[in-house]
Amino acid sequence: MQEKNRGLALFTLLVFLFLLGPLLIISFTSFEPGTVLKFPPEGFSWRWYENILEVEMFMTTFKTSMFVSLAGNLLALALGIPAAYALSRFQFKGKAALNAIFISPVLIPGIVMGFAMLKYVIIVYDLPIYAGLLAGHTVLMLPFIIRVVASSLANFDFAVEEAALSLGAGRLETFFKVVLPNIRSGIIAAILIAFLESFNNVDISVFMTGPGVSTLPIQMLTYVENNFDPTIAAISVLLMIVTAILMFIIERLIGLSYFTKR
Amino acid sequence: MKNKGLYLLLLPGVLFLTLFMIIPIVLTIASTFFHEGSFTFAGYRQFLTDPYFIKILLTTLQVSLVTTIACILLGFPAAYYISKLGPRKKVILLALAIFPLLMSSVVRSFSWMIILGKKGLLNSSLISMGLIEKPLEILYTPTAMMIGLIHLFLPLIIITLVGVMENIDPDLIKAAESLGASRFTAFRKVIVPLSVPGLIVGSILVFVGSLTAYTTPALLGGKQRVISTFLYQNAITLNDWHRASVIATIMIVITLAVIFLMNKLATKLNPKG
Amino acid sequence: MALLMLENVSVAYDNQYILQNFHLHIERGQLISLLGPSGCGKTTTLRLIAGFLEAKDGRFLFEGKDYTRVPVNKRNFGFVFQSYALFPHLSVYDNVAFGLRLRKASESEVKKRVTAILDVVSLGGFEKRFSKELSGGQRQRVAIARALVIEPDLLLFDEPLSNLDANLRINMRVEIRRIQQELGITTVYVSHDQEECFSISDQVAIMNKGVIEQLDAPATIFKYPKTEFIARFIGFTNFIAFGERTEQNGQIILRTGNHTFVAANHPGTANPSGKKCALRPDDLLVTTEDAQDVNRLQGIVKVSTFLGRSYQYVVETELGDFTVNQEMETPYRSGQKVNLLFPKDKMVLVD
Repeated sequence: MQEKNRGLALFTLLVFLFLLGPLLIISFTSFEPGTVLKFPPEGFSWRWYENILEVEMFMTTFKTSMFVSLAGNLLALALGIPAAYALSRFQFKGKAALNAIFISPVLIPGIVMGFAMLKYVIIVYDLPIYAGLLAGHTVLMLPFIIRVVASSLANFDFAVEEAALSLGAGRLETFFKVVLPNIRSGIIAAILIAFLESFNNVDISVFMTGPGVSTLPIQMLTYVENNFDPTIAAISVLLMIVTAILMFIIERLIGLSYFTKR
Repeated sequence: MKNKGLYLLLLPGVLFLTLFMIIPIVLTIASTFFHEGSFTFAGYRQFLTDPYFIKILLTTLQVSLVTTIACILLGFPAAYYISKLGPRKKVILLALAIFPLLMSSVVRSFSWMIILGKKGLLNSSLISMGLIEKPLEILYTPTAMMIGLIHLFLPLIIITLVGVMENIDPDLIKAAESLGASRFTAFRKVIVPLSVPGLIVGSILVFVGSLTAYTTPALLGGKQRVISTFLYQNAITLNDWHRASVIATIMIVITLAVIFLMNKLATKLNPKG
Repeated sequence: MALLMLENVSVAYDNQYILQNFHLHIERGQLISLLGPSGCGKTTTLRLIAGFLEAKDGRFLFEGKDYTRVPVNKRNFGFVFQSYALFPHLSVYDNVAFGLRLRKASESEVKKRVTAILDVVSLGGFEKRFSKELSGGQRQRVAIARALVIEPDLLLFDEPLSNLDANLRINMRVEIRRIQQELGITTVYVSHDQEECFSISDQVAIMNKGVIEQLDAPATIFKYPKTEFIARFIGFTNFIAFGERTEQNGQIILRTGNHTFVAANHPGTANPSGKKCALRPDDLLVTTEDAQDVNRLQGIVKVSTFLGRSYQYVVETELGDFTVNQEMETPYRSGQKVNLLFPKDKMVLVD
């Protein structure tokens, strides 16, 4: 019986080696002083990290990504928190249908959504690319926000609202003073999770590029298709560090169980 | 007052989604039936009789199928191992599994370019170990795509299954053992059947995800196209929006069909009667 | 020879001992309960016997053979879980057949035995149902059937009735006792419910902090608890701690302060170190008459509550508050002066 455990443990170790090995390799490669990507690297150099700052497109697209992911996040919060509240708190006709509508972005392949939005939002509605990008990312983030907030509210005892009302508070006031503070960690976690999804997104962003407008992942994609130097590795390492920090914060706020339950 | 307030809460979100998602998608689908002003199935006919397109479709399905099966075979035992760990170790392993998921697909696929290239890590190691003479051409083939996709989706299967297995009452294993079952028999007769619904959910995610993935095939597939890169090519490179819309619609139909069929399968296979 | 023996057993969890130098032996055909508050080690003992836990020290002997290292799936003990642990993906029939099929019984044999056992637990006709379609009591009976059908050498129950409602609990415990006696199967039964254990057991082991404080027939424990802990556990609420104990003329003299009490000589007072007197509220007498008896305390009624059959009074005295139940037409009122009488043959002396 003990043997079986050891075999299983070894197997799991190999699986994790497979999952994390490549990321480790990228990290080492980022320090390669030469211009050709190779592993193991022949030396140690910060050169490619400095290069990030020098390639203007990276900085520009980074700023674009940050703006789109943050602004889209705020927009998704403004749309999503009330919706999540309504879906958790009340029973009403058509609730199932509405639930489906809010989940639906997840069912449509990202690349299809990106294309459809390019076709109509940009061309037909005649909105600037930036707006299309923002709209696309908001649509992307909305289901995440709703799901995390609704899940936080699922454990919320709404009797607390009634207590506040009986003590004289108005509805809106009650929401901000009594409901929101208690789901605060859920909301912050929702923001972080949605942010990561949006920041890393390729499928939607790939269609919403134009002169001077692009997101960081798309820029990285284009760069890789034309250059094969360790700059991308350097950017990847920085992204990994940021992701690790955000993940740590998410774990502190709502634990990792968010990811395991379906 | 109640109704008005309720709809006020929901309306902005619904409106936004309708305007920016539902209408574009619906119109895209609708546009495929019109070509030069008249209602026609010509777009679809053209596609479904085009051997080049059929090949792309089949390649995509094949790649997705292999990816899904590989993820299940690799992920199930690993998830079982993790689900039996004490809380501290479990959190660490789960975190390690979730971490790659939160990284961009560009980064993850890129790492495989370094490994699978002609001068990449894999080839250099195999050559220096004397196992092969000429570098293997793995990069820019369907194999590379599959490896990249497996790498992409394996964490998803693992954490889905861990969640499922954690929900299985631990007393059930003890009951099976008290009735004479060995550890392995208990696994086979209790854990596996009860994990099937969750397994199917995870498989849907992996299969559909692989089917519609863009970045990984774009970086690792080279000239080999899959549906999503074909869509992009038609839309942006060839500027043929009608064809692109047709491809997009076919992708939606396949996605929904797969989800629907697998849900049916899940209900049929649901061991709880 | 005893069927089952735990000798010098120690079980630790996270460096804390739950059982230490623990001894227990059980005779064939008995139903013995392990009773005690949570944390006393009764469940640990049961799981040890089942094989879900390994002892750090000590031996577990069964029918003379050393079972200490025998893995759980080779012990052939039937285990009934508190949460029933029915396999949700299998029908009642397949649940019960599970153990038989592992023992490679032929399908016709399986059918015969499963049908028979389902009749024993009064679930004939339920073969095709699934766990979620059954009520709590029905699930419990399936769990019992599943454990019984393999003809186990020992039957182990882990708080099997705590998830059922009160009426069902009473019916089910009678069922369990009936089946146990009909089949003559040695059974170890764990519960925190005193009434449950006392009503169906041949012997009860009262446990506290990893130690068996008393192992006796229920009636014996009920009348003659050995320690204060046990006395309190089974409903003795009145205690007087005496400083001095001497024997005189076949009776026991107890002194504290300027009070002298006399206790009769009986099994409940036999323990020479027992200096604390314990009495049930029903055995204590309260009266407004001026009594000249020995074993008398004056007091004032503090609280009076109505129990249905009798009235219950909390009486404040020099030696503390006492609770006494008595039937009467007109109850005493708060502040009323009364006399408490401690019948000398009803007093039990505990450690």
